Amino acid sequence: MGLLQNRVAVVTGGGRGIGRAVALLMARHGARVLVNDTGTGLDGDGVDRSPADQVVQEIQAAGGVAAPSYHSVSSVEGGEKIVQDALNHFHTVDILVAAAGILRDRTVFDTTEEDWNALVGVHLKGTFSVVRAAARAMRGKAYGRIVTFTSAAGLYGTFGQAAYGAVKDGVAGFARVVARDLGRFGITVNCVAPRAETRMTASVPDDIMRQRQEVLGVPQPTPTSDGYPPEAVAHLVAFLCTDTAGDINGQLFYVAGGVVSLLSHPAVTRTVRKPSGGRWSVEELAVAFPLTLGVGLANPAPPRESP
Amino acid sequence: MGNTLQGKVAIVTGAGRGIGRGVALKLADEGAWVLVNDLGVAVDGTGADRMAADLVVGEIRERNGAAIASYANVASMQAGQGMTDAVLQEWGRLDIVVCVAGILRDRMVYNLSEKDWDDVLNVHLKGTFSLVKSAATVFRQQRSGRIITFSSESGLLGNPGQAAYGAAKSGICGFTKNVAREVGPYGVTANCIVPRAYTRMLQGVPPEAHLFLERLHIQGLPFDPASPEAQAWHPDDVAPFVAFLSSDYAANINGCTFLVYGDTIGLFQDPRPLSTIYKGEGFFTLEELAAIVPGTLGRGLANPAPAQVSK
Ligand SMILES: NC(=O)c1ccc[n+]([C@@H]2O[C@H](COP(=O)([O-])OP(=O)(O)OC[C@H]3O[C@@H](n4cnc5c(N)ncnc54)[C@H](O)[C@@H]3O)[C@@H](O)[C@H]2O)c1
Ligand SMILES: NC(=O)c1ccc[n+]([C@@H]2O[C@H](COP(=O)([O-])OP(=O)(O)OC[C@H]3O[C@@H](n4cnc5c(N)ncnc54)[C@H](O)[C@@H]3O)[C@@H](O)[C@H]2O)c1
Repeated sequence: MGLLQNRVAVVTGGGRGIGRAVALLMARHGARVLVNDTGTGLDGDGVDRSPADQVVQEIQAAGGVAAPSYHSVSSVEGGEKIVQDALNHFHTVDILVAAAGILRDRTVFDTTEEDWNALVGVHLKGTFSVVRAAARAMRGKAYGRIVTFTSAAGLYGTFGQAAYGAVKDGVAGFARVVARDLGRFGITVNCVAPRAETRMTASVPDDIMRQRQEVLGVPQPTPTSDGYPPEAVAHLVAFLCTDTAGDINGQLFYVAGGVVSLLSHPAVTRTVRKPSGGRWSVEELAVAFPLTLGVGLANPAPPRESP
Repeated sequence: MGNTLQGKVAIVTGAGRGIGRGVALKLADEGAWVLVNDLGVAVDGTGADRMAADLVVGEIRERNGAAIASYANVASMQAGQGMTDAVLQEWGRLDIVVCVAGILRDRMVYNLSEKDWDDVLNVHLKGTFSLVKSAATVFRQQRSGRIITFSSESGLLGNPGQAAYGAAKSGICGFTKNVAREVGPYGVTANCIVPRAYTRMLQGVPPEAHLFLERLHIQGLPFDPASPEAQAWHPDDVAPFVAFLSSDYAANINGCTFLVYGDTIGLFQDPRPLSTIYKGEGFFTLEELAAIVPGTLGRGLANPAPAQVSK
């Protein structure tokens, strides 16, 4: 018996990368899977039914049950249609994995309004839209598993991903709230910061990739011969969707190849109070800050001499 | 009255009321010339009233400071550019931007409409992006500048009933950390403030969120809005730290997230690994995780909202 026997899973972005690996794995473990993917380019342009279709075919060829869905996640209506597709095919929804995503690497200087809207639309609204629709379907049956995706760019900040970092940290905050909205209905909502070799990471130069991972503060594994396959992420995601994981709610995980970490949420670690109480003055802060909170605080991008 | 910001020009959004008002007055008291932006809306973002910005401009002028008003809705790209152009035209420079404007619409995620989502995301997240983008371009050119944004514990810790607000506020924090790394090389800093202040916004927070915050017992302080502590969290208490970050004293403080209320300043730490499992070859399979996680990563994890229904 598979660990997800008879469950119905909706996987957005299920046509490629991490979503694809999740869809295939869940089907192998007995879930019936709605594979949602618009089949867009990495930057969100264009549509193509074949990524979703191919994953459905792969699942069926292996004896599993799956159906395709091509609606875009990036509107509330799209989210509703995707969940309706699952209800039409499989009559219920137990699991939602919101893996649809696009990438546009630009600094804040170069990010256009169009870039901003596209990233906010797919990642943030596209997570909200399917979570909202799935929550409506899950609430009545007092069971549900939801997994969303954040990124090191959002949690720590990198260079050249201002809008992407904004939306990915936005997803982490959204998941924290929604875990509290939905927990009492027996629904869990968790958030995963993955590292996986997909077209998304293939688009990023190696040295930038390395720099970005270094900020993580997670002990990095020496890559095994497998590197960082999306399958490693899929196994953690699938685990979070099992009955066993029913009490894991509102948590943040990091997964990269053979490393899985439970991450803390942002937390205040050091505080300073004005010794005499009352309101600080700027001059008092100028004296107190370097001796207290400022100790060991490094500028992540110190000023460079102008050329 | 001080002079730590003498000769500097600042834009403060949402400066007509609450925390933003305190910031605008403080920056002016420290010598800065201030563009006071406020659309003058209700907590939920409806309506518009020029009085909000006008009153603060009047207060600053009464104290012999320099201020001009902007009634722009921050939630468009034109707004950020327009405010930037306005101060360049009026005073010929821009040194400080503080993005405080915000609205609140509390709904459980399954009842949250697309309009509520869009409005909240636009004011907070796009409104912040809009002004930061136009200001960053000026700052890069002049090789100095300060960017200060506003996040919330709702996003960083998770308050029920605030899916849109929490997403937007957490997004602002992530945005600021990224911007800090992009503007830093030009001698510019970007930091994020997580305030606690007893303003009209807090009064609108739903009771379940209060309960949640109470349970957290952050710093051992209760979070009952009627408590003397909460009453003591005056919105003007946030302003001195904003002025400090805006000053030359803070030239090397960049990419940080600060909790600010009353007489207290706290430093947020980014997420870090609490516990880690490793596998030398390949990766953990679903079956392995099901066997290992409950005794390792999952050990002692508390569900923040345990199921209240029998399965
Ligand atoms: N790969 C990594 O190392 C990494 C790191 C951090 C975060 N992530 C996140 O993980 C998720 C999956 O990323 P991936 O690496 O598998 O990317 P990917 O590009 O391989 O796959 C993303 C899929 O989403 C689909 N998609 C895009 N927009 C869509 C829309 N509007 N509606 C429906 N489908 C849409 C694409 O067609 C694509 O098939 C993303 O949210 C990404 O931000 C990935
Ligand atoms: N008060 C708190 O404890 C608290 C906690 C966490 C975060 N915050 C954040 O601090 C900031 C200030 O909050 P506050 O408590 O002072 O709220 P407030 O309601 O007292 O003031 C917000 C001001 O922003 C203005 N505004 C709203 N939308 C606008 C728009 N589109 N364009 C221009 N102006 C607009 C309003 O008219 C109002 O004057 C907000 O970003 C809020 O999210 C406050």
